[in-house]
Amino acid sequence: MAALMDLSCWGGDWGLPSVHPESLIVLAYAKFSGAKLSIQPVDWTWRTLTETVPALHCEGSTVTEPAQILNLLRKQQYNADYNLSAKQGADTMAYMAMLEEKLRPALLHTFWVDTKNYTSVTKPWFSSRCPFPLNFFVPGWQASTALSLILLTKGESPLNSIADVEAKIYNEAKECLNLLSFRLGSSLFFFGNTPASLDAFVFGYIAPLLKATLPNGQLQQHLKQLTNLCQFCDTILKTYFDVSTQGKAMGSANGDHLLLGRHVFYSSLHLLPGGLPVRQDAVDTNLQKLTQLVNKESNLIEKMDDNLRNSPQHRPCGGPSKQSSSLSEKNSTPA
Amino acid sequence: MSLAAEAFVSQMAAAEPWPDNAALYQPLKDDQILLSDCASSLAVQAYLRMCNLPVQVCCRANAEHMSPSGKVPFIHVGNQVVSELGPIVQFTKAKVRGHVSGWGFSSSDLQLCPEGSAVSPQGHSLSEGLDDVQRAEMKAYMELVNNMLLTAELYIQWCDDATAAQITRPRYSSPYSWPLNHILAYQKQWEVRRKMRAIGWAGKSLEQVYEDVGQCCQALSQRLGTQQYFFNKQPTELDALVFGHLFTILTTQLTSDELGEKIKSYSNLLSFCRRIEQNYFQEQERTFGPLPGRQSLL
Repeated sequence: MAALMDLSCWGGDWGLPSVHPESLIVLAYAKFSGAKLSIQPVDWTWRTLTETVPALHCEGSTVTEPAQILNLLRKQQYNADYNLSAKQGADTMAYMAMLEEKLRPALLHTFWVDTKNYTSVTKPWFSSRCPFPLNFFVPGWQASTALSLILLTKGESPLNSIADVEAKIYNEAKECLNLLSFRLGSSLFFFGNTPASLDAFVFGYIAPLLKATLPNGQLQQHLKQLTNLCQFCDTILKTYFDVSTQGKAMGSANGDHLLLGRHVFYSSLHLLPGGLPVRQDAVDTNLQKLTQLVNKESNLIEKMDDNLRNSPQHRPCGGPSKQSSSLSEKNSTPA
Repeated sequence: MSLAAEAFVSQMAAAEPWPDNAALYQPLKDDQILLSDCASSLAVQAYLRMCNLPVQVCCRANAEHMSPSGKVPFIHVGNQVVSELGPIVQFTKAKVRGHVSGWGFSSSDLQLCPEGSAVSPQGHSLSEGLDDVQRAEMKAYMELVNNMLLTAELYIQWCDDATAAQITRPRYSSPYSWPLNHILAYQKQWEVRRKMRAIGWAGKSLEQVYEDVGQCCQALSQRLGTQQYFFNKQPTELDALVFGHLFTILTTQLTSDELGEKIKSYSNLLSFCRRIEQNYFQEQERTFGPLPGRQSLL
């Protein structure tokens, strides 16, 4: 029963134990069910290319999809669903299907297909975690896989372009987030006070979206307005992953101190508002609007600064613009 | 269709009442239609009957190519053409019922509504009485059916070599002559297999697919419990969708009976199918036409 199990997954950043949604699902479920996994991040190894992540190695066999991994963990008596009724189990299956059909295409689009996000967030992160020469083509290959999945499942005819499908998938994703928010209501987890596999799935999909800093994040903005979902993520992070503001990796890491040090180093370099715990307890709608207005103003001020700097009369000076950018980031934290 | 065009269409749709000559197009019933298409078509027909919206079923060999999204069935109402259950549900919600007598409600047969069926005036959706949490559940279960049952049907039809060679390809290409029939059949098979690869179903074996269907049926059976319909006493689009798929699987013969056996092991699903068939298809058969079922694909 206490067989040694290794989990290969992508490493963590932005205050999360892993930035890969599927890996995060498995990690969360392991925490909920009390399974002891030894985590082997595939970062900086050739397994980024050769291995389908996440993968659980147990007694010689390897299981790859999150649903299959959860099944295996349940068979090993690590079951977070044992106190769910039959109807709740059925609801779990239904909601998982909804997440995969409605939310996952938009998530893939946000991280891998949208040009701004991909070039400024996803690709640098994944390239920096792959050894040479994989950093040149592993992110690109994952991006094309994501694009083909979106087009094949959501595109109406085989040769549709991504632009036609974009609006549709984002609408569906926003509706899905709203429905999840309705279902969660004001309770701590989806089925009472203890988390189950559905909570792991929702957390795995939502947490990277919530915590990453995306330049083009309309879905992220929508998610941030659903305060109960944000609180749900933070509760899980605080309770099960013991995350400090420096984005420390999960507690059951198996001696990868060097990697841990690198994570802390990288995440402390960025002024990431997503790394700070988001206090959503008493956010007034007016305060939100006010904050948005302030953000817009500071963006305008930044643009004016840029114009001033680019004009031939003034020499470039980096001081005031850097201060204003850090100010605007701090302002966007409570939003 | 882009979102702006969709909004415009639904605005136009709301302005006109439901006409008498609305038509639903699907592939040829006896020779051509496949399991998955028949299931989708039956789901739409069941939904329209639950809404008391009359529609004429027309069988055309090129229905798939006429459809705006490439999927059957689609309905032709007035000036608009709408395909697939989801958009059709939204379309009917936007419609405003015209004059009652213009539809023929005066027929004495139709005034007697069977117990438990939803007599909904047109322009109202079947899921109006649900609160937010219930609506979330309904959407989630519809996605479950689409994700599991429909994908399993497609897999069994096109990715299982025996079924594809014996049943699916001959049926799909039956209206066409050589060499077009081979080309179209293999093209469609290639498309479906590509999609299966993308969503990760290509590596599954047939037994795993049957097991997934079994789990899906178990979930549906547990959700239905002892109730008449999935949400209290009123049927919703979820009931129509589940009925469409389950009834088609039960009444269609494939190379093996395992799918049907999986469903038959849940008695409440069987009685659910029978109930909807009796309430919505048998009593109004004289007006609306016979039920497209009881076909054997051999």
